[in-house]
Amino acid sequence: MTTDIKTHAIDISAMQRDQRELRLEDEEITLQVKDLRLSYGEKEALHGIDMLIPKNRVTAFIGPSGCGKSTLLRCFNRMNDLVDSCHITGEILLDGDNIYGRAVDVAELRRRVGMVFQKPNPFPKSIYENVAYGLRIQGVKKKRLIDETVEWALRSAALWDEVKDRLHESALGMSGGQQQRLVIARTIAVKPEVLLLDEPASALDPISTLKIEELIHELKKDFTIAIVTHNMQQAARVSDYTAFMYMGDLIEFGVTDTLFTNPVKKQTEDYITGRYG
Amino acid sequence: MVEFEKDGYNAHISQQFNDELEQIRTELLTMGGLVERQVHDSIESLLNGDAELAEQSLRVDKQTNDMELQIDEHCTRTIARRQPAASDLRMIMAITRAASDLERIGDEATRISRQAIELVNAGESPRGYQEVRHIGTLVRAMVRDVLTAFARSDIQLAYQVAKQDKAVDREYRTAMRSLATYMMEDPRSISSVLNVIWVLRALERIGDHSCNLAEHLVYLVSGTDVRHASLQEMKQTVRDETEEPIDDEN
Repeated sequence: MTTDIKTHAIDISAMQRDQRELRLEDEEITLQVKDLRLSYGEKEALHGIDMLIPKNRVTAFIGPSGCGKSTLLRCFNRMNDLVDSCHITGEILLDGDNIYGRAVDVAELRRRVGMVFQKPNPFPKSIYENVAYGLRIQGVKKKRLIDETVEWALRSAALWDEVKDRLHESALGMSGGQQQRLVIARTIAVKPEVLLLDEPASALDPISTLKIEELIHELKKDFTIAIVTHNMQQAARVSDYTAFMYMGDLIEFGVTDTLFTNPVKKQTEDYITGRYG
Repeated sequence: MVEFEKDGYNAHISQQFNDELEQIRTELLTMGGLVERQVHDSIESLLNGDAELAEQSLRVDKQTNDMELQIDEHCTRTIARRQPAASDLRMIMAITRAASDLERIGDEATRISRQAIELVNAGESPRGYQEVRHIGTLVRAMVRDVLTAFARSDIQLAYQVAKQDKAVDREYRTAMRSLATYMMEDPRSISSVLNVIWVLRALERIGDHSCNLAEHLVYLVSGTDVRHASLQEMKQTVRDETEEPIDDEN
């Protein structure tokens, strides 16, 4: 929609262009979930999820505890494979290829789809080695390449200025917020396509939380981001699209602005406004 | 689209949030009551040449202004503290806008009361009271109806108010034409007829603000912003939301 409205002095069409509304139809899709069912033993935890994760956008998953949002997130890089009783049907397509296909190399998949957890989990190594770790296990030997990548990853994670003079000190001496940004730097150092964030800020203080949120906003230029959060306001602040899940079903999925002002489903409305469900 | 629940603001897990929203809503309806009184008193004072009633209406305006500030402050505070979403957010937005329109209605009523006092002081009874009485009755009904609509979250009634505004606009134009003719016929009456024109203008503005209030209510209930939309579009929104036929007779 490029209506050319001009007033005498101000060209408001530029403002309107900047605020162009998001539409899922216009997006390039990174992940496509097709009728995904997951059960732990007898109990089905996801009841046939269909959804799209658009490229270079932040998609937030919200919902009460036990609704399946973390389970779904973990499906995106097959973390649930590690759970013995877990059984999955349906498909998840990453750039068109089913990640549950036979020929898929799970280690390579997890490089392409990186994950950050609730509690920062740096390795008991130096800051530098934490970030370089992924490159080293990939067999990268050139020091200059590793140096460059470490700096790029730490800069991208908005941590470089804080740690550049103590790269070889232990990562365990950093604050919680710094550790979490370090973990994000470590994850992006191997240049994944998708970043999965499972409650990345819930163990952090409000200022560190805002830094992580700002970081998420910056990172979406380079990565497709999916974030699980209990904090609805955080979802509203950081995401472009929001998925509301309840009891293993995807209840509503849409543009965040719309979902938080005028949701389609009553369950969504009740949840985001804090009413009895 | 989620069906709007009239008493839904009362169902939050946080009882404090319920109380805040309830209080803001009550304040708006109280302010509405004051403004309705102001409009009634100002028109009556003019028609009956009652300067005392006009003075009383002026005093109420001070209260109305204070209430607007109070409602705005409470809305701001609730946004800051509760981060309302969906229908709660729309309610807060609609109420701040409604408070602003109510305050403007109060200002227009004040204009009418001032004219009443002037006319009494001049000892005149000019031509045009008929129009004031007629349009005043229409506009008073609009204010009353739109407040009832707010109290009941009744957007069908809100639509009727918006429709009524068109009728008021028509009546206003007709009155303007006849008063212009009158002034041409009798130039000595110009200054007093101009006073009546100011009053009619104020009444017409009260109608416009009532129509705005109706639009805010439709936004609150349906989530569709019908400001600057045609009456037909508003009707469509109301029909989609209520899924009931709209009484479009009269």
